[in-house]
Amino acid sequence: MRNISRRKTRALLVIIALGFSLAILVSIPAGVLANQQAASRITNNLGNTITQTEQALNQTLNQITCSIASGFGGFGFNGGSGSGTTRTGGFGGSGSSGSGGYGGFGGYGGFGGGSVAGQFGAGAFGGGQSNPMNETLYRDINTSISGVAAVEPTLQVSEGTNQTVSFYGRSFTRMVPQYIIEGVPLTSDLVNNYPILPTDIVSGNNLQAGESGDVLLSENNSAYFGVSVGSTVSILGTNFNVVGIYSPTGVEDTEMLYMNLSDAQALTNNAGYITSLKVFAVTTGDVSSVSSAISALHPELTVSTNQNELSQLEANQPSSAVALTDAQNSLAATNSTAIEEIIVVVVATSLIVLFVMLYTVRERTKEIGTLKAIGFSNTSVMSQFMLEGVLLSAIAGVVGIAIGVLAAPTLTSLLQITTAISRAAGFRAGAAAISVAVSPELILIGLGVAILLGALGSLYPAWRAAKIKPAEAMKYE
Amino acid sequence: MSKPVLQLEKLSKTYTLGKRTVPALSNLNLTVTSGEFVAIMGPSGSGKTTLLNVIGCIDKPTNGRILIDGVDVTDMPENELYKIRRDKMGFVFQTFNLLPYLNARENVELPMEGRIQSKSERRKRASELLAMVGLSGREEHRPQKLSAGEQQRVAIARALANNPAIILADEPTGNLDTQNKQGIIKLLANLNVTQGTTIIMVTHDGEAAHHTERMLLLRDGKIIKEKRGTHAMKKNHTCPSCGVPIKLSDDKCPSCQKPIYSNDEVF
Repeated sequence: MRNISRRKTRALLVIIALGFSLAILVSIPAGVLANQQAASRITNNLGNTITQTEQALNQTLNQITCSIASGFGGFGFNGGSGSGTTRTGGFGGSGSSGSGGYGGFGGYGGFGGGSVAGQFGAGAFGGGQSNPMNETLYRDINTSISGVAAVEPTLQVSEGTNQTVSFYGRSFTRMVPQYIIEGVPLTSDLVNNYPILPTDIVSGNNLQAGESGDVLLSENNSAYFGVSVGSTVSILGTNFNVVGIYSPTGVEDTEMLYMNLSDAQALTNNAGYITSLKVFAVTTGDVSSVSSAISALHPELTVSTNQNELSQLEANQPSSAVALTDAQNSLAATNSTAIEEIIVVVVATSLIVLFVMLYTVRERTKEIGTLKAIGFSNTSVMSQFMLEGVLLSAIAGVVGIAIGVLAAPTLTSLLQITTAISRAAGFRAGAAAISVAVSPELILIGLGVAILLGALGSLYPAWRAAKIKPAEAMKYE
Repeated sequence: MSKPVLQLEKLSKTYTLGKRTVPALSNLNLTVTSGEFVAIMGPSGSGKTTLLNVIGCIDKPTNGRILIDGVDVTDMPENELYKIRRDKMGFVFQTFNLLPYLNARENVELPMEGRIQSKSERRKRASELLAMVGLSGREEHRPQKLSAGEQQRVAIARALANNPAIILADEPTGNLDTQNKQGIIKLLANLNVTQGTTIIMVTHDGEAAHHTERMLLLRDGKIIKEKRGTHAMKKNHTCPSCGVPIKLSDDKCPSCQKPIYSNDEVF
């Protein structure tokens, strides 16, 4: 013990060397943990989104959406932009139709070669701009086509700021919507019998038939406006009562606020105009005949059915499965790298302790001989050296953990632990940065490992010290 | 009168150097009684240090028996032998062998660590011993702050720590100048007289040997001669050549002018 304070320089160097190995030792599991969290976030988000969209589509298989496409729908980051074709490894572009009703799905934020949560947001609202349609022109759909149960004219207007985005060397101006006004006709027939409003109300009530001056906000809207149920919210200068807040089911409706169609038309100076018609067929079997009839009657309309959407989604499933596998493979590769590195560090740390203590024993041979000659037992000589080794590595452990806590993100990226996932994350538009944090458990484990390695590394040198023959040690200079 | 504190019976020790076996001690018999002050002399390679190591239980004889305080330690296992070294022996080395990172008092406390539990008691005894060897007030000094003579005094205090039956001194004056040499010899002689400590000292130095009371000459691992010395602390020092009374500090006999302590003339 006194030797550590005595040989300050060497002790310091050893502590720094050991400290760094131990810092690496605590950083690696921290990095791996962060990776696992990132990967599970990616896979969960993707899985949830697919499931939710599928459910939403399944519930609405009897729906037909009609709108006049503006020509550029589905502007999804990294996913199929505009054209709607599925890029290799990408999962985007069901926004092709640009059908106002779904905001063109906007591409699922390109799960290209593995992606990360957050890009969904960027892609989701990118598309679906539809031209206004004169409401009166399309009344004949309800009256002259058989198999139509109801027609829901809706007006969707996005409000937000324009932003220029550069992507792979090309510039796009897109509107980043703060909120989307969805005007729906609050007739008792539609409200009571058809899924025209969100169903997952988390606070307050849903909109009721015949209501006017009331608004149903999404959770995001509520946060954006900073209002809650019962208060009023000013939308484009007009006050509305917040009757309820709903939780969005998918990615496309997170910013949507619902109000009476006539309110929306008045608010946005669109009296008599709508952006899409949602036609409900009597049965799902009528969907194809009804949609052909609509196309025949109004060739200018883009008619899409949710059956098409579903099949497109299902067609995309394999590529998302590939992406998932990619993410899992890269995670597995990272883990095996981490295990190799941990083994190297553990061996290196034990070797450092071993050689330092062997050197110490050699250097102090005469002293050990003296101690034994004046009556120290083998056990006490051995325990003295063990104690020194353990103490040295315990101090190094504290230093190493301190370094590890501060430098874990840097160390893990240097060691290629987190880069694999970062690469998989592609460019991170809005992606949450991977946070590498050393947990308290890891600190305790690290300290335990340090002490264990100290004991392990000094075991042999201490045993050597105990076996020194005093008579021979005396001759040693 | 006095009981034997050390008995060596037909003691032999051979070393193996490669394929050759080199005898270091052969058939050596020696009895030392309690309170004796013995010098072992002899040329290099005569087996002096081997003998001392075997007596000190830090080396094992090849043949023969060793009894310390009447106890046969020849075949004692290491886990008991260390207690003999700790409780019955006190080592004084030519190169002092103090631990450099401990101060004088802590060095003296070292051998007590396994025996005396109370730290304050160890401190007290160490300070008393340092006072006994003339180092009062220097307890807190590290070895490098002490002169060679002072370091050897600390080593002697350390050797006395557990009230040993025998003090084994291997060339205790070998690294000291004349003045310090005489001081150390006087100190050992004084301890021998006042504390009754048995001292066995290996030395090359005729003067140092002459201040003991029993001088043994070793050659080829055997005691070939034995002679009485003048005891440094006993009165009536006389010239070994003509018998005229002399002083301890005299190099030559004031009467016959012969050198008193020449290495050649001890034996």
